[in-house]
Amino acid sequence: MNNEKAKKVSLFFGVLGVATVLLLHYMVFFWVPTESSMGIVQRIFYIHVPSWWVAFIAFGAVALCSGVYLWLGDDRLDAAAVTAAEGGMIFTSIGLLTGPLWGKIAWGAWWTWEPRLTLALLLWFIYLGYFLVRRSTLNPERGKRLAAVVGIIGVLDIPLIHVSVSWLRSLHPEAVVLNPDGPTLDGSMLATLMVGLLAYTLIFISLFTMRYTTEVLDRATRVQST
Amino acid sequence: MISLKGVNEFKNNAMAILFLALCFPGMAQAQATASSLGSQSLGRPYWHVFTAYAIAWLLVLLWMVAISRRLGRIEDRVGSAVRD
Amino acid sequence: MQEDRGTQVLNYIALVWTVARKDLVLELRTLERLIAMGAFAVLIGVLFQFSIDTSLIRVQTIAPSLIWMTTVFAGILGLGRTYIIENENKALAGVLQSPVALDVIYLGKVVSNFILLLSVVTLILIVFSLFFNLSFPIEIKGWLSLAGVFSLGVLCFVSIMTLLSAVAVNNTMGESIIPVLVFPLLVPVMIHAVTATNRIFANRPFVEIEGNLRMLVAMVLIFLMLGASLFRFAIED
Repeated sequence: MNNEKAKKVSLFFGVLGVATVLLLHYMVFFWVPTESSMGIVQRIFYIHVPSWWVAFIAFGAVALCSGVYLWLGDDRLDAAAVTAAEGGMIFTSIGLLTGPLWGKIAWGAWWTWEPRLTLALLLWFIYLGYFLVRRSTLNPERGKRLAAVVGIIGVLDIPLIHVSVSWLRSLHPEAVVLNPDGPTLDGSMLATLMVGLLAYTLIFISLFTMRYTTEVLDRATRVQST
Repeated sequence: MISLKGVNEFKNNAMAILFLALCFPGMAQAQATASSLGSQSLGRPYWHVFTAYAIAWLLVLLWMVAISRRLGRIEDRVGSAVRD
Repeated sequence: MQEDRGTQVLNYIALVWTVARKDLVLELRTLERLIAMGAFAVLIGVLFQFSIDTSLIRVQTIAPSLIWMTTVFAGILGLGRTYIIENENKALAGVLQSPVALDVIYLGKVVSNFILLLSVVTLILIVFSLFFNLSFPIEIKGWLSLAGVFSLGVLCFVSIMTLLSAVAVNNTMGESIIPVLVFPLLVPVMIHAVTATNRIFANRPFVEIEGNLRMLVAMVLIFLMLGASLFRFAIED
C-alpha cells in the first residue's frame, strides 16, 4: 500500500470511526435505558466489551503476521505485527482499567480472578514481553524473530489460560450473584453494544493504518540514511 | 520527497474531534443528573462511568499523539537528509 | 540404502541423548547450577518458615503451592543460564554449526534441564517435608501420581524455559527478561500442577487427579511441539 493510499484509508476509517464514536456516546448517555440491577455503572459495558474485542483482533493479527514473517521473512509483516501489538496493548489497557471501575460498583471488588480478567492481565504481560524482547536484543533482526516467537506462543497460550482459569473458577462459586457478563441484553442495549464494537473497530483500523505506514516509512528512511 | 501534509491535517482534525468526544461524558453527566434514573443513588457510579470513558479516549488519544510524534521525527529525518 | 522409520527414530533419540549427555557432563564437572538451585531451594524454605505465621495458617494446606513456587523460582535461576554458559565460552556457535537439526539440540537441552530440575525438585520435596512436617501419600498409587504430576509439570516448565531462555543470549536485559516472558505462560501449568498436588497430599481418589494429569500431558505436547518448531528462530543470530 503506498503512502497516498494509506493516508486516504486512514482518513476514511478515522472519519467513520469518530462519527460512530459520537453516535455511541449519544446512544449510551441519551438513548439506551439504564440497566435495572447494576444501574448507571453498567454503561461502562459499552466500551469495556468493544475494547476486548479489538484487543483480541489485534493479538490475533500479531500471531498471524508473526507466523508468516518467520516463514517468508517479509519485513512488512513484522511492521504489521508490531503495529497490531501496540494497538492490542492500548485496548487491553483500556479493558483492564475500565473493568475494575465497573466491577467495584457492580460486584463490590476492584479485582476478581475471573477468567477473562485473568486472561487479559496475562496477555498484557505477554505482550509487554514482546516489546521488551524487541528492544533489548543486540541484533535488531534477531529481536524481530524473537518477538515473533513470543507473539506466536502468547496467542497459542490464550486457550490454555482461559480453559484452566475457567476450570479453576468453576470450583469456587462467584461471591456475588450478578453475572459478570451483565444480564441478557435487550434490543436497545444490544444495538448500542454493536455500535460500540463498530466504533472501536473503525478507530483501530484507522490508527493501525497510520501506524503501519509510519513504521514502514521509518524503516525505509532509516535504511536510506545509513 | 514524501508528502505528509495530508496526514498532519487528518491528525489535527481527528484530535479536535476526539477532544470534543471526550467532553461528551461530562456534558452527558450534567444532563443526566437533572433527571432521575432508576433507584441508583447519584455520585460515585457516575464518576466511575465518566472516568472509564475518559480513560478509554485518553489512551486512544495518547496512541494517536505517539504516532504523530513518530511521524514528525521521520519528517525531520527526511528533511535533513534532503538538505544534506 | 534408506533407513527404515524405526532406525530413524532410534537415531534421532540417540542424537537427542548425545546433546543431553553433553550438557549433563558439563554440569557435573562444575555443579554450578545444581548447587545454586539446591541452595536456593533450601534457603527459600527457611524464609517461608519465618514469613508464614503458623498460628494463623496450617502450613500443610499451602505446602504444595510453596513447593511449586520454589520449583519455579529455582528453575528460573538455574535454567535461565542454559545457553549463557556456552555463549560465554563461544561454544554456542560451534553447537549450532554441528550437523544436527536444531530441534535435536532443543530436545537435548530439554532432557538435560528436565533431569537437572527434577533432581532439585526431589531435594525440595525432602527438605520441605522436613521443614513443614508434610505427610506423603501412603499407597503406591499416590506416589505414582505424585511422580507423574511433578514429572509432567517440570517438563512443561522446562520446555517453555529452554525455548525462552535463548532470548537471554546477546540481550541487554540478560536473564532478567526471562521471568516476564515465562510467568504468564506458566499460569495454566501452575493451576493444574498445584491442584493435583493438593489433592494427592489430601489422599483424594485418582479420578479427581486424572483431569489435571490429562491437561498437563496436553500442555507438555503443545509446548514441546512449539518449542521444537520455533527454537531455530530463537537461537540463530
